[in-house]
Amino acid sequence: MPAFERKDTHAMTRPEVDLAGIKLKNPVLLASGTCGYGQEINDLLDLELLGGLVVKGISLIERPGNPPPRIHETPCGLLNAIGLENVGLERFLSEKLPWLEKIDTAVIVNILGDSVEEYTQIAQRLNGVPGIEGIEVNISCPNVKAGGIAFGADPALAAEVTRRIKMVTSLPVIVKLSPNVTDITVIAKAVEEAGADALSLINTLLGMAIDIKNKRPALANVFGGLSGPAIKPIALRMVWQVARAVEIPVIGIGGISTPSDAIEFFMAGASAIQIGTATLVNPGSAAEVVTGIASFMDKEGIDDIRQIRII
Amino acid sequence: MSRYSAICHIIDQIRLTRDIFHLVLNAPDIARAARPGQFCMLATAHGKGLDPLLRRPLSIHDVGPSGRLEFLYRVVGRGTDLLAQKGPGDIVCVLGPLGQGFRLGTSSSSILVGGGLGTAPLLFLARGLEPRDITIILGGRDAQEIVRLDSFEKVAEKVLVTTEDGSLGIKGLVTSALERLDISPSSHIQHPPAIFACGPWPMMKAVCNWAAIRGLAVQVSLETQMACGTGICLGCATRSSGQDRYLHVCKDGPVFFATDIDWG
Ligand SMILES: Cc1cc2nc3c(=O)[nH]c(=O)nc-3n(C[C@H](O)[C@H](O)[C@H](O)COP(=O)(O)OP(=O)(O)OC[C@H]3O[C@@H](n4cnc5c(N)ncnc54)[C@H](O)[C@@H]3O)c2cc1C
Ligand SMILES: Cc1cc2nc3c(=O)[nH]c(=O)nc-3n(C[C@H](O)[C@H](O)[C@H](O)COP(=O)(O)O)c2cc1C
Ligand code: FES
Repeated sequence: MPAFERKDTHAMTRPEVDLAGIKLKNPVLLASGTCGYGQEINDLLDLELLGGLVVKGISLIERPGNPPPRIHETPCGLLNAIGLENVGLERFLSEKLPWLEKIDTAVIVNILGDSVEEYTQIAQRLNGVPGIEGIEVNISCPNVKAGGIAFGADPALAAEVTRRIKMVTSLPVIVKLSPNVTDITVIAKAVEEAGADALSLINTLLGMAIDIKNKRPALANVFGGLSGPAIKPIALRMVWQVARAVEIPVIGIGGISTPSDAIEFFMAGASAIQIGTATLVNPGSAAEVVTGIASFMDKEGIDDIRQIRII
Repeated sequence: MSRYSAICHIIDQIRLTRDIFHLVLNAPDIARAARPGQFCMLATAHGKGLDPLLRRPLSIHDVGPSGRLEFLYRVVGRGTDLLAQKGPGDIVCVLGPLGQGFRLGTSSSSILVGGGLGTAPLLFLARGLEPRDITIILGGRDAQEIVRLDSFEKVAEKVLVTTEDGSLGIKGLVTSALERLDISPSSHIQHPPAIFACGPWPMMKAVCNWAAIRGLAVQVSLETQMACGTGICLGCATRSSGQDRYLHVCKDGPVFFATDIDWG
């Protein structure tokens, strides 16, 4: 490839960032559960233009997911109860990762479990596997042994999962926080103290809808996770709070669909952002956000997006 | 399989009845790549509006020369209502063509059964079928629901209409028309017809039962709630006839062989 072409691509994908040791072409990632395992979306969105992607949450054993209906639209939002359907760890490694390895973008593997052991087993297996730049731990799952309370709702449990994962992997560990808590900074600090390298937030907000015609909940699972533009103000508030409570980098997630949404998160203190529901609506969203951030930085005359953080 | 994200101009939007519309877009890439049974996701909000947030799935009704892409839809809620307000020259963002369409096969005859707006994909399907011994059955609640009859008559040897209130064609359900065709069990005939069905779940189930008795294979086009339409959210699950498994309507379908589906 001629040198000028390389430079051209770089101009399209900057600004580079280092996120807890993970090198990213730019601070824009695709959120878990909204980009499959990458290959499903690459024809509509060039993944190499992005900082990276976080693959659909992986459990130790394949999960079939929830019965339908699994999704329901709300004003400017989406309720989902997919039920963490995924191909399981081994099939991810043998069927999905080889394709991802060929793509020049950071691959972060989102993991889930219903016990501390499940999380650690997955993390251990992923350690040292080529093509994986980091682990994102979804702690919004219920702990079966502790009566179903979510790991992310209890500071001690959240810290325990983090500590045990850190013990078995040398990959950067990003802990993804649940917003369904009274004070998210308490969980954030507990997880930081347990050794997390970065935090990502927020996961979906627990919600529901009722189909009044059929007199039953709109989702078969009754409750679902709310995402999309409707949750952006809450996500932004939580990123602001957490960014001021911890020293480790924070990845902002929640309702981002335009460059200006993303810039709000950087101003609130995020070091990177993830795009979720927007990709479902418009596959090109993340690429538009990358371009928009670069031109914003040009206009502002800055070379590090973290400079716009509001102190 | 090529999919496109296109900004399309409306060539025409015709109101066929109180709530049924025929939309014609200029979408050369999508029209060229489209296969019968595939669908598109259409953005319905005005401009860059966020409500409705999700695009709406519509079956490809027909494609025509010079990039015409046609849809046939009923206004049932906010998204379709906003779409119906658009007119020639307005733009619509469209993702497509999506999903797995009908397997066209080599049967010497075909029976296409549509109920309500389930008739939408059958026109494009009939055009794609070869050889051309085609029977189309269009079912509706009343005569108002039977739309574009003249277009269907141009692509099929025989078109039968059924209405529940008897205001047009045979009084009854689509199965009444199927019974009249007097099709023998497949074991008794050398060239069993290929059966295609699209419409409300109970209608498709009835067609499948009618076909099962005669040992005939049926391809059905299913509808579910969809968020992305592109295979990334896993929201469009339907139970498979295999144990404890879900199929995803937007990527494994929307067209399936009836035997692959758990009809409940
Ligand atoms: C693959 C596929 C192909 C389709 N092809 C066509 C087509 O060619 N022509 C056409 O008219 N429609 C088609 N549909 C249905 C169409 O997508 C819905 O009617 C539309 O999304 C409704 O959007 P809305 O905003 O107007 O209604 P909403 O406000 O979302 O819903 C209004 C009411 O309509 C009901 N509704 C919503 N979605 C559906 C659905 N999928 N099926 C039945 N009822 C629904 C809701 O339960 C609610 O009661 C198709 C659906 C799928 C999945
Ligand atoms: C359909 C769907 C599936 C999701 N699956 C996962 C998942 O497997 N693991 C996870 O940590 N988050 C999952 N999420 C949450 C998103 O990654 C993200 O945190 C959330 O949707 C908020 O961002 P958004 O408003 O940009 O979508 C999912 C979200 C959606 C909409
Ligand atoms: S609608 Fe998203 S996977 Fe089918």
